[in-house]
Amino acid sequence: MRRTYLGEFEEVVLLTVAVLGEGAYGVAITDELERQTGRAVSLSAVHAALHRLEEKGMLKSRLGEATAERGGRRKRLFNVTVLGSRALSDIRAVRERLWDAISPQTLPAFGL
Amino acid sequence: MKSPQPPRWATRLLETFCAPHLLEEVQGDLEERFHRRVAQFGERVARRRYTAEVLGFLRRRLNGPFALKRPRNEVSPHFFSNPAMLRNYVKIALRTLAHNKAYAFINVVGLSIGLAAAMLILLFTKDEVSYDRFHANHPNLYRITSKRIAPGGTLEGLEGNTGFFQGPKFTAGIPDIQAFVRFQDYLYDTKRGTEVKSQQVFLTDTSFFSVFSFPLLSGDPKTALRQPKSVVISEGLAQTHFGTTDALGKVIFFKQSYGEGVNGPFEPYAVTGVAKKCPQNSSIKFEALMPLVVKQEEIGNDFGWFNIFLNTFVVLKPTANVGRVEASMNRIYRADAKESMKMMAEKYGMKHREDYMLQPFTAMHLSEDLSANNGLVDGSNPLFSYLLSGIALFILGIACINFVNLTVARSLKRAKEIGIRKVVGGGRTQLTWQFLGESFLLCFAAFAFALLLVEAVLPTFNQLANKALSLSYLFDVKLVVSYVALFLATGLLAGFYPALVLSKYDPVQTLYGRFQLSGKNHLQKTLVVLQFAIASFLIIGTLTIYSQFDYLTHKSLGYDDTHVISIEKPGLNPSLDVLKAELLKAPGIVAVAPKNGGQWGTAAKINGETQVEFTYETIDPTYLPLFKIPIAKGRNFSPDFPTDSTQSVLVNETFVKTAGWKAPLGQVVNFWYNEEKYRVVGVVKDYHYEALNKKIGPQLFTMRPKNGYGKAFIKIKPNTETASLRHLEATFKKLFPFSPYAYKFLDVENRRQYEAEAKWKQIMLFGAVLTIFISCIGLFGLATLSAERRTKEVGIRKVLGASASSIVQLLSSDFLKLVGISFVFAFPAAYFATDQWLQNYPYRIGISPWTFVVAAAAAVLIAFLTVSLQSLRAALTNPVKSLRSE
Repeated sequence: MRRTYLGEFEEVVLLTVAVLGEGAYGVAITDELERQTGRAVSLSAVHAALHRLEEKGMLKSRLGEATAERGGRRKRLFNVTVLGSRALSDIRAVRERLWDAISPQTLPAFGL
Repeated sequence: MKSPQPPRWATRLLETFCAPHLLEEVQGDLEERFHRRVAQFGERVARRRYTAEVLGFLRRRLNGPFALKRPRNEVSPHFFSNPAMLRNYVKIALRTLAHNKAYAFINVVGLSIGLAAAMLILLFTKDEVSYDRFHANHPNLYRITSKRIAPGGTLEGLEGNTGFFQGPKFTAGIPDIQAFVRFQDYLYDTKRGTEVKSQQVFLTDTSFFSVFSFPLLSGDPKTALRQPKSVVISEGLAQTHFGTTDALGKVIFFKQSYGEGVNGPFEPYAVTGVAKKCPQNSSIKFEALMPLVVKQEEIGNDFGWFNIFLNTFVVLKPTANVGRVEASMNRIYRADAKESMKMMAEKYGMKHREDYMLQPFTAMHLSEDLSANNGLVDGSNPLFSYLLSGIALFILGIACINFVNLTVARSLKRAKEIGIRKVVGGGRTQLTWQFLGESFLLCFAAFAFALLLVEAVLPTFNQLANKALSLSYLFDVKLVVSYVALFLATGLLAGFYPALVLSKYDPVQTLYGRFQLSGKNHLQKTLVVLQFAIASFLIIGTLTIYSQFDYLTHKSLGYDDTHVISIEKPGLNPSLDVLKAELLKAPGIVAVAPKNGGQWGTAAKINGETQVEFTYETIDPTYLPLFKIPIAKGRNFSPDFPTDSTQSVLVNETFVKTAGWKAPLGQVVNFWYNEEKYRVVGVVKDYHYEALNKKIGPQLFTMRPKNGYGKAFIKIKPNTETASLRHLEATFKKLFPFSPYAYKFLDVENRRQYEAEAKWKQIMLFGAVLTIFISCIGLFGLATLSAERRTKEVGIRKVLGASASSIVQLLSSDFLKLVGISFVFAFPAAYFATDQWLQNYPYRIGISPWTFVVAAAAAVLIAFLTVSLQSLRAALTNPVKSLRSE
């Protein structure tokens, strides 16, 4: 198993980028995260995570089009790289193995 | 309705702290959210949230300074790190220079003149300040000096010399004084074969070589001056006498030139040492040294403490306290001289007090009151140094200012280049550095040129300043450092302002041709006025000095000094009649008259107890007629009155005035200390017996037999110089085989009195010419600027029918107005300064208005010539060319 060190927040951001596909940029990612996790996410945290991920090689970015709403400034669009997708599937594999290994009735039941 | 904006200060804050490559997307995101929130929550909430988010970005430092991160391989905007930009800068700089060769040349020349002046002055000042510092005992070397205090406590005078006693007595009584050495100036005659010459010799103590650092080429410094009749000579003197510096043990024949040995035989002196040539920056320069022998009777002399005629130097222990040593000196003096002081007070009414002091050796050279004199040389007036430094700084300042003006003026042509550089992304700092670099390049060229200039001008400067400076002085570390500092300072000064101004040009204005020079050029105009004011001031000063000098050299001295030869012969009295008889045998020689050697002055009592001081001349009856000096009242000395020599004196008109005599003839003059009384038998018309820069004082003539004659004046017929001189020389050598023969023409000698004035004349002339030249450069720059600015205006005027001359008039009138204003400042200052300077001369010219008129005319003419070049060029350009770009 490859050793990938990915923080929890970073993993979530990476997943969201994958979810958004072509329109993954700062504001969109933050909105999606807020919708999905239900908690307030700060734009600066998302930006920080995005750039850390890019430095690690999990994301690649390009500058997109500018809009008037942004005061004529372009947006940076992110896509998941091969390395990033491998990291994600590795994490998923680990999780799934662990889930499979739990014998039934171990986890306390919680209401549906 | 104005669209809502996010808070500007927060945006600015972000701009300051965020990495530039991330700034755009971050700002875009922030703004997008802002606008959405405005729609959702209203402006105030949106602004609040925006600010919070910005702060959030700044706070992200906890995870590593996110927003502050810069990509690792970003190119630094500084040009030092980028060779491509450097290449471009150099290329552009060289091209600019090549396209404007004339201006570059003028700029460089102007600046290099300023730099050369500054360099010369640095050399001069370094030399002045370094005098006498080469001695090993340096910080502990002092000269014994004294001050005279009147009974009331006021300072009467300062004295730099002493007698025989001070050195040995103080040294014996004060342990802090390690050694003393006396230094007396004397004249000896030397004889080589049949040739007799005078030689300046210094009599000094055996401690000379241990106190001072004058290395000996041969001989033992400890014993060289121990034996009487020994002499230490310089290598130059050794060469002259023996043709080699290996003179140790050889013999030179000396006899005293005056005093008791004057007619005595020549005696052999053994050379006990050959010394290296004295360095240029030394107050002590000697060719020959002999041991000082103090005779027995001198040691017991009651007047010993009060005779002042030589220099005494002491070496103090390094731990000594100067104040305490001085106090001890005065204690010893008062104890030892108590009896003598009482005697002086009773017999001669000497009531003042002497206080002894120590003057640091290195302070002598530049001291005005206690100057290097009586055998010490090169005593210099610090005023000279200050003045020269002032002039040099001034010239350099003006040169820098002109450099600034000219550079800014030429920059108009580069306005487009600056606009384009800014458009493609050049920052202001970058541009500033570019122009500063260009200025430094020019400054460097000016510096190199200045070095060449200094080398070329150094011989003339040496002659002016009485020094022997050479460029090898430059290899002194401190001087090199100061020159480099000079270069850097000048480069910065001269380059900074244009760099700032040029980098400020707005690209939109320059590229769209809307470029106009802003402002009314107040700075430049003021500078031109200032320059011309100083130039006019110097012109007036030079003209004044020239006329005063002319006056001094041409004014009648009150006696006829033409065709008069003077010779020196101490102890002439016994041989006077023989000399006269022999000389008058020659047909060309008309008259011979004697006089006392040197300059004598003394005092006597008149009108009872009034004491008057006067110049004391010992002559014979032929003196006054030889010089055609008229007698105003009474009669000359005459052989018909044999009692004249013991009972009669003549006085001059100033004496009569000082004495307040209404009837001078028959008045009594009482030489009370010799107990002799004389009567005045004649009043001589005042004549200038000294240089014209000294006032005529009271003068008294006598024929007292005990006074010795030391000079003779020989009047010859015109055009008989050669024959008369030959006869004179032959007679002299026949009568006085043991005396050196040297003759002088009196009128030539009198001219020499004004050497100092001649020097000032030359300096002022140089200063004036330089300032005018540099001022013209400044004016030229300003004229160029103005002509460039008004090309369109001139074009239109020409099209409408103006003639070339009217355009020249138009363009020049502005500057002539400036020159006119400069006169307003220059004339009062010049009047005041020349008046003050002329006060130094009791006989002077009046300040005439013509000087000012001539100076004004000269300044206007020069300004006009300078400006007209540019005006003419502007007036002759084809108006099509200037109006085409409309």
